[in-house]
Amino acid sequence: MLINNGFNEDKIQSPLGYIWSIFKTKTIAVVAMWLIIVLIIVSLFAPWFVPHSPLAQNPESMLLPPYWVEGGDINHILGTDDLGRDSLSRLFHGLQLTLGGALLITLLVGIIGMLIGAAAALTKGVKASVLHHLLDALLAIPTLLSALILITIFGPSYTNCLIAISLSLLPQFIRSSFLAIEQELSKQYIVAIQLDGATKTRLFRYGILPNILEPTITIINRLFTMAIIEIATLGFLGFGAQLPQTELGSIIASSMELIYLSPWLVTFPGIAIFTVIIIVNVLSEGLRHAVLEGEE
Amino acid sequence: MLSFLLRRLNLLLITALILTIIAFAVDRIVSVNADAVVSHNGYISQYFSYLWNILNGNLGHSSVDNQALLDRGLIFFASTLELCFTALIFSSIIAIPLGLLAGLFRNTRLDYGIMTIAIIGLALPVFWVGVMAVLLPSVWGQVLPVDGNLSLIYEVPVVTGFLLIDTLMVTEQYELFAFIDRVAHLILPALVLSFFLITEIVRLTRHSMTMVMRSNYIQAAYAKGFSRTKIVFAHALKNALPPIIPQLRLQLSTIISFAMTIEIVFNLNGIGKWLFISLKTGDYLVLPAGILIISGFILSFSIFIEILMVIISPLRRGSLYADK
Repeated sequence: MLINNGFNEDKIQSPLGYIWSIFKTKTIAVVAMWLIIVLIIVSLFAPWFVPHSPLAQNPESMLLPPYWVEGGDINHILGTDDLGRDSLSRLFHGLQLTLGGALLITLLVGIIGMLIGAAAALTKGVKASVLHHLLDALLAIPTLLSALILITIFGPSYTNCLIAISLSLLPQFIRSSFLAIEQELSKQYIVAIQLDGATKTRLFRYGILPNILEPTITIINRLFTMAIIEIATLGFLGFGAQLPQTELGSIIASSMELIYLSPWLVTFPGIAIFTVIIIVNVLSEGLRHAVLEGEE
Repeated sequence: MLSFLLRRLNLLLITALILTIIAFAVDRIVSVNADAVVSHNGYISQYFSYLWNILNGNLGHSSVDNQALLDRGLIFFASTLELCFTALIFSSIIAIPLGLLAGLFRNTRLDYGIMTIAIIGLALPVFWVGVMAVLLPSVWGQVLPVDGNLSLIYEVPVVTGFLLIDTLMVTEQYELFAFIDRVAHLILPALVLSFFLITEIVRLTRHSMTMVMRSNYIQAAYAKGFSRTKIVFAHALKNALPPIIPQLRLQLSTIISFAMTIEIVFNLNGIGKWLFISLKTGDYLVLPAGILIISGFILSFSIFIEILMVIISPLRRGSLYADK
């Protein structure tokens, strides 16, 4: 029998490709990934397909319950609020601000924080020491307090709320990325790269970055979760999105007086926040396990 | 040891200075209209007089009811701390055994079940759980009170600020009823706050237990032929629990932040509600006072924990000398 290996292309997978192939075998995580993509698309294009405008008031149908409850209306699947506005449409529009803001914060804080964390870990002496003391001081201010400070100074608005949350999550992210890099720096292959005479940027790009994937996923997941909760909390307290804007937290706050009359107005936005966070956490757990298995 | 203490003290001083600078900046910004007359002194000398005032325990007076901000703030903050501490006890009782089990039986059904509970605890927004808990009396009837620190019928003089202690001091007047009432008021908020804490503690305990069970001395104990139960209780537990404390310290500011939110939802008289109400009524001077009280506490508490860890844990002490 003739065996010819000459034309067989043995393709060696790149590390990321390998991790991806492991990730694809994890059904729940893949489902979570698609759900997130759907959620993002839904919240991006919400104005085009929701059945009602989130601000359209309808005095004919106020405080309708969800359609499966006695007295519900199929036109308003999740019911209406005290001004006759459709709950489902408001939920999607709220998701736009909450989820979109959290993604924006995660992206910005992730990049800036990783760079500063790397700078803090790779430099020594005065620069690192100044950074540490500043970070310690900023870490001692709770998120809600620093958000209150910024909002008192600049006035409450959705943009300021996002800035405040980013500024208060940044020190925590820098601290955790710093710890991850610091742990990696003491390993022997890093010493070997350093002995080769690699510059700091090369050391970071090729030595450290591919090896801190797993802790990075964990801290980015944490960053995203905290960002969503903080946006909703500030919206709930009235410091975030202002009235014509619909944000999940502020929807909850505006239906607080009606909590005994129609509790679902408060229940559904909370469930929406809960679902988003659960999905993201499942995805990140799947990714983390894939990275861990890929490294072994 | 002495050099370590000096270094920590140095850190405390520098960080405290940065915090006072932040507080001073906020103070100048919010009170720029109130006293524009004094501002020709220059910021440096103003800062030093501000610092001198802080050292004398004078954080200014509220512009609404003219009370000393420091005294008021400390009383409110004591109630916040009470809430955090109760939640910490609740969640430790629930979460540490769960975390240990998850770490021991890693990657089994039990582990997945416990971690699912943990993720659900993280994903529930704290303020929303609070709102849902406020709904409870309409479902179950009046079981636990959901607003306020204490029923209004009890008049408890402020001695320590910690109501749990203060209510015990008036036992000849109300017997134990005031204390029981206070405990009843504390249970629901503390339970809601412990949702988040349970997640954190389960994760940390699980991670630290896994690390310990993989270490060489546990393998050596297995090789000696000890039973699993004996290894876990005699060797693993002692080494798995202490590393959780400094990790939890990093979460302190998040915990206080959540506690402040819960106070607003449950209408408790804590520092969060105090800041919230004062800011809504335009009393902006509470902001620098709030920064100094909360951050000062977090800062000194974390350094206290760090020193305590060095004193009680030989491993940390060892790493101190290895640094040199």
